[in-house]
Amino acid sequence: MDEEGAVAAAEEALAEGIDAYEAITQGLSKGMEVVSRKYDTGEYFVPEILLCADAMYAAMGVLKPRLKSTGPRDASQVIIGVIEGDIHDIGKNIVKLMLEAAGFEVHDLGNDVPVASFVDKARQVGQGVIAISTLMSTTMPGMGKLVKALEDQGLRKSFRVVIGGGPISQSFAAKIGADAYGANAMDAVRILTAWEEARK
Amino acid sequence: MSEASPKERIGRFLTGQPIDRIPCVPLILNHAARVLGVKVSEYAANGPTMGAAHVAAYRRYGQDLITIFTDTSIIAEAMGTKLYFPPDDVSRFSEPAVKDPPDADRLPAVDARASGRFGVFLEAIRHCVKEVGDEVFVSCCVPAPFSTAAALRGTSVFARDLYKNRPLAKALLQKATEVTCAFCEAVAEAGGIPVPVDPVASGSVISRKAFEEFALPGLVAVHETIRSLGMPVVLHICGKTSSIVDLMASSGAAVLSLDLISLAEAKEKVGSKVCIMGNVAPTEVMLNGTPESIRAAAAACLRDCAQNPGGFILASGCEIPIETPPANIMALLDSVKEYKLS
Repeated sequence: MDEEGAVAAAEEALAEGIDAYEAITQGLSKGMEVVSRKYDTGEYFVPEILLCADAMYAAMGVLKPRLKSTGPRDASQVIIGVIEGDIHDIGKNIVKLMLEAAGFEVHDLGNDVPVASFVDKARQVGQGVIAISTLMSTTMPGMGKLVKALEDQGLRKSFRVVIGGGPISQSFAAKIGADAYGANAMDAVRILTAWEEARK
Repeated sequence: MSEASPKERIGRFLTGQPIDRIPCVPLILNHAARVLGVKVSEYAANGPTMGAAHVAAYRRYGQDLITIFTDTSIIAEAMGTKLYFPPDDVSRFSEPAVKDPPDADRLPAVDARASGRFGVFLEAIRHCVKEVGDEVFVSCCVPAPFSTAAALRGTSVFARDLYKNRPLAKALLQKATEVTCAFCEAVAEAGGIPVPVDPVASGSVISRKAFEEFALPGLVAVHETIRSLGMPVVLHICGKTSSIVDLMASSGAAVLSLDLISLAEAKEKVGSKVCIMGNVAPTEVMLNGTPESIRAAAAACLRDCAQNPGGFILASGCEIPIETPPANIMALLDSVKEYKLS
């Protein structure tokens, strides 16, 4: 949870000649796995995760510029956002963080995102995963509209859709034709990782 | 026993006298706008409209308590936080009163009867009391200090303050507590029962340790104020509460309104100390369910908790979504009428 400590550790790793990619996958990612576990077991909550996220992004800022171009990584691209009408984005940010820590490339559209913006981004990215979140029951129908819009635009086959957030359930995901429901950030990582493995 | 009015039933219930049936309080909040047929933004901005909406909802449903509410930022709003009011959806946080820590020293003086939309709520309470106050108690949800402090800063900023700027967090909690207590007095003066609601202090968001240190002191102070006004304290915390339900029960509350917790567990942990209220799932069951699935969910709540030593009120776990079909709400209310108290 210590931002300065994380930056210092990242700088030290580089000074000792550790490869930046190694430092991210063996250091930061492993660290975030510990955070996930502590969240799962009820030791960490939202404040703790936010501070860990700050620390991770600060260290990432040190390491990223030193990444050797190792060619395009194979992991899926993920488009994530909170559906239009809702501005609650803490949950979405935690999912984004955990996905990034797990090696996914995440395009964050932010909160209050119209269906059309998701579709535009999907067309641009081409294929991958779309992750949609909401905390409010009133905005849930927007998720179904997005799935429908992807179908209408011929993009549905190129994207898997995972949804989550307070009022969302497995049965709602099935009802609107989403591919999966993620109960929390760790669940989302498990789902996307399983898809990734099935793809290979 | 002939059918008691909700006011008689709740009055007898709270004073430990026998009652004709289990009370039932679906949390009809913004949904009241739908019953009156006005936009949610009109409901949120105008006292007589808000009051009329709740009177209309009570006349349609006959629930055991009127619960006036728009959002959980009304105290922060009176202290300078800006809200956004979509034309026909619930109001939401827009801009924090305390962007930078020094702003905390420049917060405006608050008039518990006039600042922000306080006047709107007080007028709504008075309207309900005048129209139906002889039949039913009128309550008004009052955001508790922790949730207010989060709305003064923005929740994710405030969450960081709990570690990085504890003096600021505590100062905001103190200010929020003072305003909340003053507003509770104004609510009582208007004839309403203040109901503290503290969603941000939920076990879904913060740890037990953080709850104890940051949220509980404000709740205890607010509860003391409400009790000194001669009223029972109904504390609502939605989300998960398994880790804090014992602390909630020792905060001076008489009734705990619970959401994501097994009622059997709540009964075992705190049932001898407090009345438990809950917890049919708002979206999964109330909004998306059918009258049949709602009866089944209600039956499960009644099976687990109707015999609670401290008493039980059948309710939704949190606000009934605005677009909940009226037949679903009626199904919840019918299920207590069909249930035989042994």
